[in-house]
Amino acid sequence: MTDPLRLLGRTRRHFFRDCGVGVGSLALTSLLAQDKPASAADPLAPKQPHHRPKAKSIIYLFMAGGPSQLEFFDHKPKLNELNGQPIPASFIEGKRFAFMGSSHRVNLLGHDKKFKRHGRSGAWVSDMLPHTASVADELCFVKTCKTDLFNHAPAKLFMNTGSGLFGRPSMGAWMTYGLGSECADLPGFVVLQSGPRGPRGGASLWSSGMLPSTYQGVPLRAQGEPILNLTNPAGVAATDQRKVIDAVRELNAGRLAKTGDDEIAARLNAYEMAYRMQTSAPAVMDLKGESKATLDLYGIKDPGESSFARNCLLARRLVERGVRFIQLYDTNWDHHGGVTENLQKHLPMKAKDIDQACAGLVRDLKSRGLLDDTIVVWGGEFGRTPMGEVREFTGRNHHIDAFTMWFAGGGFRPGMTWGETDEFGFGAAKDPVHVRDVHATLLHQMGLNHERLSVKSQGLDVRLTGVNPAKVLKPLLA
Amino acid sequence: MVRPALLPALTAFLCASVQAEISFNREIRPILSEQCFSCHGFDAKHRKADLRLDTREGALAENEGVRAIVPGDLGKSELWKRLHSKDADEVMPPPEAHKPKLTTKQLATLRRWIEEGARYEPHWAFTAPVRPSVTEKGPAAVDALIDRGLREAGLTASPEVAPEKLLRRLSLDLTGLPPSPAELDAYLQARTKNPEAAYAAEVERLLAAPAYGERWGRWWLDQARYADSNGYSVDAPRSIWKFRDWVVNALNADLPFDRFTVEQLAGDLLPDAGESQRIATGFHRNTPLNQEGGIDVEQFRIDSVFDRVGTTGTVWLGLTVGCAQCHDHKFDPITQKEFYRMFAFFNNQDEPTVKVSDAARDEAGLAAAARDAEKALGAWLDQKAAALKQWETGPAKAASAKLSGSVKAALRKPAAKRSVTDRATLYAAGPGATDKEFKTLQKKAKDAADLRDGAPTTLVLKERDQTRKTHLLTAGDFTRPAEEVTPGALSVLHAFRPDQGPVNRLDLARWIVAKDNPLTARVIANRVWQAYFGRGIVETDNDFGSQGTPPSHPELLDWLAVELVERGWSLKSLHRTIVLTRAYRRDSAERADLTEKDPDNRLLARQTRIRLDAELVRDSALAASGLLTRKVGGPPVYPPIPEGVMSLGQVKRAWNTSKGEDRTRRGLYTFTYRVTPPPALAVFDAPDGLASCTRRNRSNTPLQALTLLNDPAFFEAAQAMAKVIEKEGLAAAFRRCTSRPPETSELRILSGLDPLSAARALLNLDETITRD
Repeated sequence: MTDPLRLLGRTRRHFFRDCGVGVGSLALTSLLAQDKPASAADPLAPKQPHHRPKAKSIIYLFMAGGPSQLEFFDHKPKLNELNGQPIPASFIEGKRFAFMGSSHRVNLLGHDKKFKRHGRSGAWVSDMLPHTASVADELCFVKTCKTDLFNHAPAKLFMNTGSGLFGRPSMGAWMTYGLGSECADLPGFVVLQSGPRGPRGGASLWSSGMLPSTYQGVPLRAQGEPILNLTNPAGVAATDQRKVIDAVRELNAGRLAKTGDDEIAARLNAYEMAYRMQTSAPAVMDLKGESKATLDLYGIKDPGESSFARNCLLARRLVERGVRFIQLYDTNWDHHGGVTENLQKHLPMKAKDIDQACAGLVRDLKSRGLLDDTIVVWGGEFGRTPMGEVREFTGRNHHIDAFTMWFAGGGFRPGMTWGETDEFGFGAAKDPVHVRDVHATLLHQMGLNHERLSVKSQGLDVRLTGVNPAKVLKPLLA
Repeated sequence: MVRPALLPALTAFLCASVQAEISFNREIRPILSEQCFSCHGFDAKHRKADLRLDTREGALAENEGVRAIVPGDLGKSELWKRLHSKDADEVMPPPEAHKPKLTTKQLATLRRWIEEGARYEPHWAFTAPVRPSVTEKGPAAVDALIDRGLREAGLTASPEVAPEKLLRRLSLDLTGLPPSPAELDAYLQARTKNPEAAYAAEVERLLAAPAYGERWGRWWLDQARYADSNGYSVDAPRSIWKFRDWVVNALNADLPFDRFTVEQLAGDLLPDAGESQRIATGFHRNTPLNQEGGIDVEQFRIDSVFDRVGTTGTVWLGLTVGCAQCHDHKFDPITQKEFYRMFAFFNNQDEPTVKVSDAARDEAGLAAAARDAEKALGAWLDQKAAALKQWETGPAKAASAKLSGSVKAALRKPAAKRSVTDRATLYAAGPGATDKEFKTLQKKAKDAADLRDGAPTTLVLKERDQTRKTHLLTAGDFTRPAEEVTPGALSVLHAFRPDQGPVNRLDLARWIVAKDNPLTARVIANRVWQAYFGRGIVETDNDFGSQGTPPSHPELLDWLAVELVERGWSLKSLHRTIVLTRAYRRDSAERADLTEKDPDNRLLARQTRIRLDAELVRDSALAASGLLTRKVGGPPVYPPIPEGVMSLGQVKRAWNTSKGEDRTRRGLYTFTYRVTPPPALAVFDAPDGLASCTRRNRSNTPLQALTLLNDPAFFEAAQAMAKVIEKEGLAAAFRRCTSRPPETSELRILSGLDPLSAARALLNLDETITRD
């Protein structure tokens, strides 16, 4: 019988790379490997980036629902001056908004938040986010983000996949597809959730689209077992589990020797990783080893209780273990003015939920030397209108022409503010930044060229940035 | 991305017949399409330098004093010069296009082609398939066409796979279920008399099994993007399982594929349309539906029409018609206007939910029961007429402000005109408020009425009487309508010939399955073939256009397409032909010589191992352990899923786990929420129904391992399998999972484990979830 361990090395990659078989011939070959990554035995093995990367990991803090830039970052005194007056028609002529037939209004809405410049950089942050303000010199604010779609699920898809239509890979999937994973015992793309419900769009937001499901986001759950089916079935002891896995390995190896199918080699690897995950995932969720000072830094009161703050600390722990892309969804940022989501009562509550943790995360990463190669992204799927919306209480409608996101670490310039909006904060007055530019820039920092990272599907080279122009935001980069 | 190269032996094979004459379609078009057409192709608006290379006329035309191609004269051909230019502004393709570098071989091919006169050919897929000359008939003809390729490449075919594995392959491929031990025994026994006849008999048995429709129904439901909820944020459940059952039944009845097509695309417009034909139109109601607050409903209606046009193009024509939504197609001759002419066919429907009959329901009995219950209630109320009247004239008047709307409405009616329900409403609000006997009768009547009215519903298309106008939408933006267009088909294909007058969806459906359509039969035959060999004859099964891969066996593809049509579009006949071939029955093990000469097995010297589809991974475990419920059709079911799955979306949907036999139905019947799909299926690449899926990914991940090891449903199967081990022994259990007896060494490994652990190991074997 052929030695199965020797066969393990005989992967497809081996034939193409090491057997010196000719490079390129007919174009019809281009799809042979479409669903077979370079190494069939381990599709998540680290891959060569397109250029020298500035960052290794991304932590994406997704404020699901669309946080108001006008109450947080984009200081517009004119809104208070002209509170209740209609926005000049030229701003909204021919424009479409959500809820046009119902609660959408055209009158400007002021607010009572106090704005101040913070740090040496003098970034504007309101008194709703004192902690974020205290790390302003670490952050790179972009005031003029712009997206294409103004309904939640399509806009969330767009922010994550570059398309409002279903079926495209999400950013995290692209990153792990392009770069592989540095972590051998956790998934390369992890999703964490906080807030009263899941995000609109659910699993399609962390989908692998036309890429193999190897690259899709894996939710780490707050309650129960952190990963679905992570724990042994009731009554199965750890030693029994190992015995089962050992038997499976031996039998599969025998079959590999018989068939020579490298899919079996991949499965052998997958079982080993699954086994390691059974230990490493609970370990990463266990905050017992974190000091009181660290918990306080994030504002975590009960480390056993699910919260955005706890997720931020988990994100740092995942980065430490080499996880490539970590996305935190915090829900209920849709402050239209309804009974459960309005600006008076609920926006301050949400701000309090996240403020200290965001700042704590940035500080913690920095003090541990992780901020240099970790990018922290903060933002929602869109922003909110300068015009008020009238429901039971006051609120703002969805707004796509200008909203604020911030970035930290991973080669983004600290203490920078990019882009200016007009007097009402309606649109960009200077330096508009499209979602596609954000995508191109994040890929660039990770060592990937957004025009080259593609997958063939239905005759097209599908890319995160699509076919429309996208640019790397060089001025934002150190 | 680095793409692996075609290997020399295969190249030699493909070029062998070509050395004499370059084939434009096979060798030149792929190069031009990949490298040039996005700027110098069909899309006039985005064409650069006014040069098109997708037609010979364009390539030869004089343009600012030069000609891209001068046949026979390399030196004068600007294209050749540009390919070699060192000047970044001149070189083609330009560096910013990030095109893979042309290889020496490709350059040599282009050079020879220009020198030989730069002959163009029409794209192969747009010309009608012709039955190739082959003396054999049926499966033997398929083998002859495959063996021709093997002979030319100097390869020998692998022998037939071992009988038990052959039956396993056949059974999994035709029905999605592994053979039972009894079926294996019977087949082995029959083979001793006549192996060929025994195999043919198995083919017939499995083609006739109801499970055939379930297995191949899922194949079609992937393409139909079927799921049981609306998608987007709200993801409310929907009822469209009648369409799923329609597909399963149609395939089991071997409804000819042309009729199958017409009923789904336009069943409502058929002159003899009945309920079944209306249910079939659910095909295009499987689009997601956005119920988020604040949306513009028209925007999402248009999105679903876009989806219907794109899906129709992909599923039947194998064309990326959807690419022409915003601009003329870059690679294939499809104009943006033509996209909107297709769009017009799908722009004229209402999208109702209709009640449908259900064979499982006794309508007459239900109606009678409801009538009887109402009668009993009425008779009882007759006795209380006086009490009611007294209440009505007294207390009811006094408290009139506090009465509910339905009570007030009933009171407004004259006593003689009140229905039994009205009277019961009044009596319940008044004298009968605490009357238990009355309450029982009232509930009985209501339940019986609900049952009578509770016929299942489904989603259908219904043509509007008033025609909706269709406009070309600039850049695909529904707020920017441009010129008005009328329904029409793609001009690159066969002519559209409705007899006269305006055309509708029914004409489109008939055009799609018309005899002269060069695509549909090829596309469908290829997609069936793909399921059997892991790869289509055309690998890009959803793109037969210029960017697609040319067929590895063009003659075979044509033979299958012609055969499909000539055999009355019978899919069962196509399946029969394929599984009866020698090529299908070969051993799938890799061979050193093949690994070297044809590592991707394009020449089919051997079979391919294929990991089972998600649903079949489940079905196999249930079948092997004896838990599977063999019940066909009906509303979707809720097998156990891990806690917390349903809270991943905006609205936490209820998951009331099914009881009894519905816990262990086939994966096909599991309720699928698009936003929170069943994890044990999703992890094995089951599509989420958000877009048409013509070919599934087959990933291989640690989460799959965790599912097979720890998921409650698989553990339940393992517990049942442990009992099998105790009763029948390890070897029997092994055979239920893999369809073969274990080797001594394998038995030794397993016998070191307790029955439950051994059962779990068996259900986790790669071989158990693989079709060898």
